Amino acid sequence: MPDRRNYLQTSATYTPDVIEDIQAKAELGRYRMRGFGALRERRWATFDDLTFLPCTLTRIPLEGYRERCVTKTVLGTRFARKPIEIEIPIMITGMSWGALSYNAKVALARGAARVGSSNTTGDGGMLAAERENSKTLIYEVLPSRYGINIHDMRVADAIELTIGQGAKPGTGGLLLGSKVSDVIAQQRDLPVGVDQRSPARHPDFLGPDDMIIKIEELREATDWQVPIFVKMGATRVFDDVKLAAKTGADVIVVDGMEGGTGASPEILQEHTGIPTLAAVCEARAALESLGLYGEVQLIIAGGIRNGVDAAKALALGADAVYIGTAAMIGLNCNKPLFVEDYHALGTEPYHCHHCHTGRCPVGITTQDPELMKRLDVDAGAERVANLLHAMALEIQILARACGKANVHDLEPEDMRALSLEASMICGIPLAGTNKVFGDGPGWKGHG
Amino acid sequence: MAEVSGGGKASREINAEIKRLIAQGETDILVRDPGARHNLGVAVLQPLRLTFDGSVGYYCAGLCDGPMVEIRGDTGWGVAESMLNGTIIVHGSAGNGAAAAIRGGAVVVHGDAAARAGVSMKGGLLLIAGNCGYMAGFMAQKGALIVCGDTGEAFADSMYETVCYVGGRIAELGNDAVVAELTAEDVAFLKSTFSRYFGGETSKSGRRIPRPHDFKKIVAGRKLWNFDKREWATWKEAL
Repeated sequence: MPDRRNYLQTSATYTPDVIEDIQAKAELGRYRMRGFGALRERRWATFDDLTFLPCTLTRIPLEGYRERCVTKTVLGTRFARKPIEIEIPIMITGMSWGALSYNAKVALARGAARVGSSNTTGDGGMLAAERENSKTLIYEVLPSRYGINIHDMRVADAIELTIGQGAKPGTGGLLLGSKVSDVIAQQRDLPVGVDQRSPARHPDFLGPDDMIIKIEELREATDWQVPIFVKMGATRVFDDVKLAAKTGADVIVVDGMEGGTGASPEILQEHTGIPTLAAVCEARAALESLGLYGEVQLIIAGGIRNGVDAAKALALGADAVYIGTAAMIGLNCNKPLFVEDYHALGTEPYHCHHCHTGRCPVGITTQDPELMKRLDVDAGAERVANLLHAMALEIQILARACGKANVHDLEPEDMRALSLEASMICGIPLAGTNKVFGDGPGWKGHG
Repeated sequence: MAEVSGGGKASREINAEIKRLIAQGETDILVRDPGARHNLGVAVLQPLRLTFDGSVGYYCAGLCDGPMVEIRGDTGWGVAESMLNGTIIVHGSAGNGAAAAIRGGAVVVHGDAAARAGVSMKGGLLLIAGNCGYMAGFMAQKGALIVCGDTGEAFADSMYETVCYVGGRIAELGNDAVVAELTAEDVAFLKSTFSRYFGGETSKSGRRIPRPHDFKKIVAGRKLWNFDKREWATWKEAL
């Protein structure tokens, strides 16, 4: 019989984290807000639950370090006169000028351009320097319409009509007052210092029937030249993707629950949406069920960390991936620099999720001119370019090992599942068996 | 004046003809029989006079910068949405989301406007001679919203700096909407606006315009501008 006086008993229900959360809300009188994205342990199937099966005797590999392996990616071939062509299937997702500093936005644009990739505007309109530094720029049209400007839209290479995002589907964004500086307030037509809450619904359409007309309007406004993307947070992906395809989208973006955000109620980040792995499988099944797989391109986002995640997303059916948080980390997010400023926020390098405060120690998610100086645009652009290049190399090395001369030829058959859940979700045999468990919305034969 | 016949044509064909005429230097275009087509006159970016001789569908004159557009009929949803500048005159009534997210210019509706008129407007003027539906002015940020008739429920909900004026009955104020004192400057603004766009005491649809000093002024109470635990009762409603 243990002596209960000599060890701590901890409730599995009311853990220290839960107790702290309850007491914080009892003090605050509101839900808790923060940035970064879901923090909790991932007890669901992820890309880590899949492994590639490189060539042995049944397949012939390509030379891993040298043979040609195409990464060029074309998006928007369905209706647009000018589909976008990017050199690698890794793109920078929409992050607002406001959530991010001027330097961060320009560094992302310049870094992406350097490797022939794209970047995306965000909630708050286009920054002129963003266009100047981009090779391919995607202009987001969001429910808030902050900073919307037809002249900016017409110089973009694609339009992204955003319905929601993975970190908080069904809810608009937040930009707390510390980041609504003079210049950001002017850009968004808001009072300086307000805790800006973006709307969840578009102001001029509601459902998919109206969205058909909205997409046609965007095409008229851009002379039917550029692709129209539709971006959604991953919820009822199978049905949502079918609806988005039927509204006339050229490209569909599905953002899984691991996606990041500059600020959002914590419960939405932790408890809404479905994982990115499940999202890509449902999205592919949806397009296949319509006979539009390949005709409507698919971009997957949400917690894509490296070329391995990206390669697995491509193999499951994506044409390209978006990265956001990973790109910020490439810019030095959570790096042990200016450590005393992490401490001032009550956190440490590698643990910071305080984007919402505007006190980013490394100058990325801030509007403070002094903090912003800590991010050198040229050095940041170089790191972003290096990261994108490294990720592309990772995809290529996996593709070559699987015998593919084009990264877009990766397929589900190139992988095995490492967990029952992943097998069920992806429709891929569990390693050690030749059996697919379950009949979920995987990539085979879903009607 | 150049003319385009809309009869039996798709929106894309009508717009292509309008663009072709603009490219030829036309500055005054009349579209006959627009047939309630959607997306007519979208993204016109020059000081053009464009008249639709009949009703139009969704998003007419959306994303414009500079034109003077006259619609001799009713409009569908989102007339003039996200306009930067220009003047849009609707002789009849407007569907949901009239002048949604406009950043400048003026939208004048001589009849009624449906739900969410002036939603997210970021500047400019929305003048409605008749009544409006629910949630007009929702999350409006700047500019002026004038409703000469009655409003629906949740009027002026969660606004920032837009100033609203109502000549009739307000069914219900939205979250954080408060009645403010009508000043002499407000009355002068209303008088000059009515003189400019109505030119008399009635609108083109025959609506009688109330006297400027009888209007009520509605602004944001600013309790939703920043998180504050002391305002928990308001937040509970708003969120």
